[in-house]
Amino acid sequence: MSDIVAERRAALTRRSLAPYFLLLPGLTWLGVFYVWPTIQMFFISLQEGSLATGYHLTWHWQTYGDVFTKYDTQLLRSVTYGLIVTGACLLIGYPLAYFIAVRGGRWKNALLFMVILPFFVSYVIRTLSWKFVLADQGMFLGALKNAGLLPDDFRLLATPIAVLSGLTYSFLPFMALPLYASLEKLDRSLLEAAGDLYASRRKAFLKVTLPLSLPGVFAGSLLTFIPVVGDFINAQLLGSTNTTMIGNVIQRRMLVNNDYPEGAAISFILMLAILIGVLVYARLLGTEELTG
Amino acid sequence: MSEPDRYQRAVQRALRRRMSRRDLLRYTGRGVGAFGAGALLAACGVEGQDTAPRRSPGAASPSPSPLPPKAGVVNVANWPLYIDLEDGQSATLDKFKQATGIDINYKEDIGDNDEFFGTDLQQQIQAGQATEWDIIVMTDWMIDKLIQLGWLEPLHHDVLPNVTANLDAKFNDPWYDPGNGFSVPYAAGITGIGYNKKLTGRPITSIADLFDTEFAGQVGMFSEMRDTYNFALLLMGKDPTTATLADIEAATETLRQQRDDGIVRAYYGNDYTDQLAGGNLALTMAWSGDVNYLALDNPDLAFVVPDEGGNRWTDNLAIPLRAEHPTDAHAWIDFVYDVEVATGITEWVWYESPVAGVQQQIQEDAQEDPSLEPVAESDLVWPTPEILEKTHSYKRLSLEEEEAWHELFDPLIQG
Repeated sequence: MSDIVAERRAALTRRSLAPYFLLLPGLTWLGVFYVWPTIQMFFISLQEGSLATGYHLTWHWQTYGDVFTKYDTQLLRSVTYGLIVTGACLLIGYPLAYFIAVRGGRWKNALLFMVILPFFVSYVIRTLSWKFVLADQGMFLGALKNAGLLPDDFRLLATPIAVLSGLTYSFLPFMALPLYASLEKLDRSLLEAAGDLYASRRKAFLKVTLPLSLPGVFAGSLLTFIPVVGDFINAQLLGSTNTTMIGNVIQRRMLVNNDYPEGAAISFILMLAILIGVLVYARLLGTEELTG
Repeated sequence: MSEPDRYQRAVQRALRRRMSRRDLLRYTGRGVGAFGAGALLAACGVEGQDTAPRRSPGAASPSPSPLPPKAGVVNVANWPLYIDLEDGQSATLDKFKQATGIDINYKEDIGDNDEFFGTDLQQQIQAGQATEWDIIVMTDWMIDKLIQLGWLEPLHHDVLPNVTANLDAKFNDPWYDPGNGFSVPYAAGITGIGYNKKLTGRPITSIADLFDTEFAGQVGMFSEMRDTYNFALLLMGKDPTTATLADIEAATETLRQQRDDGIVRAYYGNDYTDQLAGGNLALTMAWSGDVNYLALDNPDLAFVVPDEGGNRWTDNLAIPLRAEHPTDAHAWIDFVYDVEVATGITEWVWYESPVAGVQQQIQEDAQEDPSLEPVAESDLVWPTPEILEKTHSYKRLSLEEEEAWHELFDPLIQG
């Protein structure tokens, strides 16, 4: 008898430990390539020194205040761009995802594939090709100028519009896919029920579809907003001085000026700003799936 | 090879050059990876070991330690398209292997002086380690900085007979490395103005044209600090090589005015070339060799050394501190100073060679191969004394000065 009990107990222990073993590869990966470097970066941000003397840990918290005042413009600009792009992606991505989920029919997979298609080409190459598309005398602006619809000195490259458009294009799939996932599993009989209760189609959308797709909106917004705020490629390739984002500043501090403490400090301020923003957003939107 | 083919190839090279030099290196795998790796390495406790004594500018070269025996291998880092390397094949590299029996690992890994310094030199040398490289090719001001930091191995000129015999007197004893104690020139060029005749509607002759509101939104400036400051200083009538911090403050104001008036379209790295070629820029700061290439494709493009003056720069071969195969590195340096070898490289690269006799050799070759005429006779490849008269080098900056300049320059280009 007792043998059976012991065996069952052992089996139970094995079973309850199994999930943790499954976590191990992921956790190790995260620990080695994220947590450890982050801790190191934190200490770097508190170092002082120069290339000539080397950098020494002096717990110099002052750097945080310094970079915040020095780069507040670029920080604010990045957050603003993040909000604008997230909004634009939502406006474009929602109807897109809705159409594919609801009306896609047998074309559903083909349409989804088209959303993902750009990922088959390197992000940098795609952004570079925007330079050709938006060129002053390119196929797009050139044609409009020849038709007399635009003044000759009109340009999009090296302006905020080009950067915002590039960002919106690059990150649209990150918004569209989660939206699709949440719209796709929407129970259509709920809409029929709403109709039975004399809800107009508009009302049914606002009362049923939209609330049920909020987890998708939430996930899509995060997946778009966070990388956009930290992006530096679009601003570098499509922008000019007045579109410098915080990622460009970090890149230049780190790689051109070899000022690691400042670069690290800006990174942490950015991380903190995003974290606070996300928490506030989660509280406001309060979707159960994500906040528990 | 027929003539059109030759031109075609040159243009393709130019296209590859402008893609590869910065854009690809910086933004694709390597750039991003290096970013991460640099941070990680920095994290691993590089707490500023002062590994080498700093030398004040102009200090006498120390006597080098004796060379070890030949190792049979050498690791060379250079800029893309700076040697006759095509589809993994290079006559020059093959010849070197044959002549010396040394295996050469040649990588086109340098896309930017500062970035290469940050990713490939700084962490390793400060940590007291050898870098990956036995030979690096860096621009004059970076050589100056590396010498100040004590991060280059002194050269053994006694094992460099070709250098002694063939180094053109013009390149002897340069400002950034008196006596060539740590470096020898590899190629040289000029920073001037590249412009599109059709878009400007008139010949461009001066730096003042870059500040003309007539061209608002069509002017390109460089994100390379020294080049851009030199131009502002020349415009103000100052000698760039003796600029004070007050001069730089005034220059920053001038540049800020130019930017805020909407004249500057953007501050470019190597990517200015596609903007010039694509008609987005009417005129821009430019490197001589680039415009040389682009003009083959588009005859409206021209390069000019402005009346106020231009910048003269030299890229140099050097051996980083603690290099693992210094003897083999010397063999490579001496090899590329052979007139025949240097001619082969220059006929492909189209930048001025510091090896005496190369131009004559190319002129002779051009008798048989007319497609070499542009490189044999071009004033841009072989600047005349009148042109050189107008050019200036960069100021020697102490590390502290460089930092102070950056504090003024960075907010300008990253507003």
